[in-house]
Amino acid sequence: MSTQDRERLELLQGTLDLLILRTLIFGPQHGQGIARAIQQTSQEELLVEHGALYPALQRLEERGWISAKWGISTNNRKARFYSLTVAGRKQLGKETTKWKRLTAAIGRILEAEEG
Amino acid sequence: MFRRNRKTSDFGAEIEAHFNFETERLREEGLSEEDARAAARRTFGNVTQVKERFYESKRWLWWDHLWQDVRFGLRMLTKSPGFTSVAVLALALGIGANTAMFSVIEAVLLRPLSYSNADQLVSVVSMWQRGGVTTPFSCSPPDFFDWRDQNRSFSSMFAFHTSERALTGRGDAKRVRLVVATADIFSALEAHPIVGREFAAEENRKGADHVAILGYSFWQAEFGGLPDAVGKTIELDSEPYKIIGVMPRDFRFPLRGSDAYVPIGFDDKVMTQRGAHYLRVLGRLKPGVSVAQADQDLTAIMAELRRLYPDKDGKWGVHAERWSRALVGDIRPALLVLLGAVGLVALIACANVCNLLLARATVRQRELAMRRALGAGRFRIVRQILTESLMLAISAGAASLLLAYWALQAIVYFGPKDIPRLANVGLNTAVLTFTLGVSVASALLFALIPALRSSRMEIGGLLKMSGSSTREAGRARNVLLVGEVALSMMLLAGAGLLVRSFAGLRSVSPGFDPEGLLTLDVSVPEAHYKNSLALEGYWDRALSNLGGLPGVTSVDAVTPLPLSGDDWSSSFSVEGRNIPEKDQPSAELRWATPNYLRTLGIPLRKGRTFTDADRLGAARVLLISETAARMFFPAGDAIGQKVNFGARGGYEKNEGEIVGVVGDVRHFGLDAPIAPTFYVPLSQAGIDGATLVIRGQASPAALGQPARKRVQEIDRDALVGQPVMFETLLGDSLGQRRFYMMLLGAFAALALVLAAVGLYGVISYSVAQRTQEIGIRVAMGAARSKVLSMVMKNGLGLVLLGLAAGQGMALVLHRTIEGLLVGVSPTDAPTLLVAAAVLLLVAILACFVPAWRASRMDPLVALRFE
Repeated sequence: MSTQDRERLELLQGTLDLLILRTLIFGPQHGQGIARAIQQTSQEELLVEHGALYPALQRLEERGWISAKWGISTNNRKARFYSLTVAGRKQLGKETTKWKRLTAAIGRILEAEEG
Repeated sequence: MFRRNRKTSDFGAEIEAHFNFETERLREEGLSEEDARAAARRTFGNVTQVKERFYESKRWLWWDHLWQDVRFGLRMLTKSPGFTSVAVLALALGIGANTAMFSVIEAVLLRPLSYSNADQLVSVVSMWQRGGVTTPFSCSPPDFFDWRDQNRSFSSMFAFHTSERALTGRGDAKRVRLVVATADIFSALEAHPIVGREFAAEENRKGADHVAILGYSFWQAEFGGLPDAVGKTIELDSEPYKIIGVMPRDFRFPLRGSDAYVPIGFDDKVMTQRGAHYLRVLGRLKPGVSVAQADQDLTAIMAELRRLYPDKDGKWGVHAERWSRALVGDIRPALLVLLGAVGLVALIACANVCNLLLARATVRQRELAMRRALGAGRFRIVRQILTESLMLAISAGAASLLLAYWALQAIVYFGPKDIPRLANVGLNTAVLTFTLGVSVASALLFALIPALRSSRMEIGGLLKMSGSSTREAGRARNVLLVGEVALSMMLLAGAGLLVRSFAGLRSVSPGFDPEGLLTLDVSVPEAHYKNSLALEGYWDRALSNLGGLPGVTSVDAVTPLPLSGDDWSSSFSVEGRNIPEKDQPSAELRWATPNYLRTLGIPLRKGRTFTDADRLGAARVLLISETAARMFFPAGDAIGQKVNFGARGGYEKNEGEIVGVVGDVRHFGLDAPIAPTFYVPLSQAGIDGATLVIRGQASPAALGQPARKRVQEIDRDALVGQPVMFETLLGDSLGQRRFYMMLLGAFAALALVLAAVGLYGVISYSVAQRTQEIGIRVAMGAARSKVLSMVMKNGLGLVLLGLAAGQGMALVLHRTIEGLLVGVSPTDAPTLLVAAAVLLLVAILACFVPAWRASRMDPLVALRFE
């Protein structure tokens, strides 16, 4: 089965940052790895446009939430590995809470309509 | 903001790595190499665009924002032309004054002398120690030779003196400025003739010394710049000199240049003249040797000379100083103080603009708050304010150049001639860099408070325009205003001190009456007058010829002339007192014709003055000044004493019996101490150069040229200078002081204007802000006079605070101008009070206008305001 076949959900504005931070909690990862991880963890539901990923990484790096350095991947290739900073970890906590509150609220509204 | 510096190529490499991973993964899923690569690119989207975005985020965005800020700033500045022009003008005045002052500093103090490796050139002077005071003095030839031969610090050392000779044998004698130097002058200066050769070592000796090297412009003027001038002969004081070379066009030594250079021609007796101090000495340091080391080196040599020659060198030391520094001796501290003062003017201008910005920031609060609310970061707002400030400051800097240009023209025109290189001032690269620096620095300074405040603002509070933040702005403005007044107070009082000191000096009597006196320098060629009798004959003819000129009432001769910058001093012995040579006292010597003292109005205190009978062959007589009589004959028995100065200055010995005591003369200027002086009858001394002092009936200035012609007719080869009014000499003697006074006065005036404008601005603004309140007061029946006094009180309270602070600062900081003051204490109370009064008066005016306007306010209009 190839990846193009299934129609996937496009990411909501602003959620990519959150997902990147979350993915990095498991340890340092390079860009393609992060994209793969998001797609796999979402059971191929989410579409990450790889092109949008790198500016987002750049942005997070500038804010000091993640840091990057060049290293060697498991299959012996050079890659730029990103890891979560202390500030990034805090930011992840804040963003997660916010997101949960948002989805819970939206969920309540949607359920109220059904009922 | 902090930003990691990441290269675009690094970003490209990362994306390349991404493709490799993705392609590999897709191939593992079973796609062909080609399909996998295509799929990877599809998932990625537009690669170039992503790279572009990265690029933008690095550079172009920054540029874009700057450009936006500039355009927005321009719109804001043109929208309020009143604010902009006042701010630019205030800053331009402050920066312009600084630019002009710095130009002076640059030309006089900073610009390297125009000799190759000028930093290595060191001036060496003898130091005369008497009565606990050490005075720099010219050097004697034997001392010079010993320094030159024994030192380990200099690669070369030469001695010289400047003189004037007559260019003769070509019609009327022309004045030639001459440098008389030891042969190695040019190798030491690292300058070489463009035509011909330098001096040879043997030309240092008397007899072989009649060779000359010409200065470039003299060569152009006298020989049309033709190379065959070399080998020809010129006559100086009727003696032939063979031209052996011509110096380059840009070579000037000393600083003002010279017409010709001749070797010094020492005779065999030179090594016995250890007491004859008349040489200036310059040395070139060996590489890596410091001036202090050279000074130590020479001091050690001098200690040995003192031991070897206690009679002649017992009271002498030596001092080495970098030549560029020695040239500006006491000018340097004065100029630095003035630079400090003009810096204060710039501070006042900055405070002024800062105040304007703060007032405007309050008006602009809503705009800034809106921008914040729409997502502009604090940094962006600060940057906007800084950009606008920089634009203001840089336009002001540009405008200031025009002001500085005018100021410099005035400075060159009015500036004293005895500040070296002052005439070379100009707006060069160094000055322009300074102006740019000052502009940027002042922008940062005056934008600092408004920028910080705006970045601290809370959006909510801002949109509501909370009272607390306007109050805070008001406080900042008041503090600035008090500071402005204080600084102005200080400058004004400083200028007042200089004026008082100057006025005091003007009222000092020089000891004679220069009014209506014309002076004419005359020197005759030694070759024509081989003895004292011939010289006496020449002066007799000069005096009688001029005396016959219609309009002339009296003619006399003297040398050296008071205030001319020349002087002559020598040690002397008193008959009956047995004093070893090294402990002999020393005094100034003047040679004068019999009627000179009467013509100048120098009073006779005791005994008699010279008479026409005091001629060559008659008994030798001397006059003594009051101060000298008191110093050397404290018992009051000066008259009748026999004194001998030896034979220096003319053919005859300067000795004789003291026959009279006369009044003191301030020979060295009104601000210099009185020196003990003896007078010798001119005809008894055999003198070949003196100044004719002419008193006329009506306008003495008109007598100048006819008088000059009459003197030239006696001997065509005599050198006759241009006629100068004695009063001009007197004025020139205070030239530097007048210059410093005018500069500080101008700075103080600027400060006063700026402070007045600042005060006016702040009061007007506060009135505008309180329009409603004032309107209500008036509507409720408050008397207009009450409103007036309320507003005035408001402003004048700040002014009084500023005055008090300024007085305090003046008491501390005026020590820096102590060196510029004569007869006035830097804490002179009347001056401080007058300065405060002037400032207060101006402040009352500046407050009165807006206060009066407030009191005339129509309450209806006021209430409808906003």
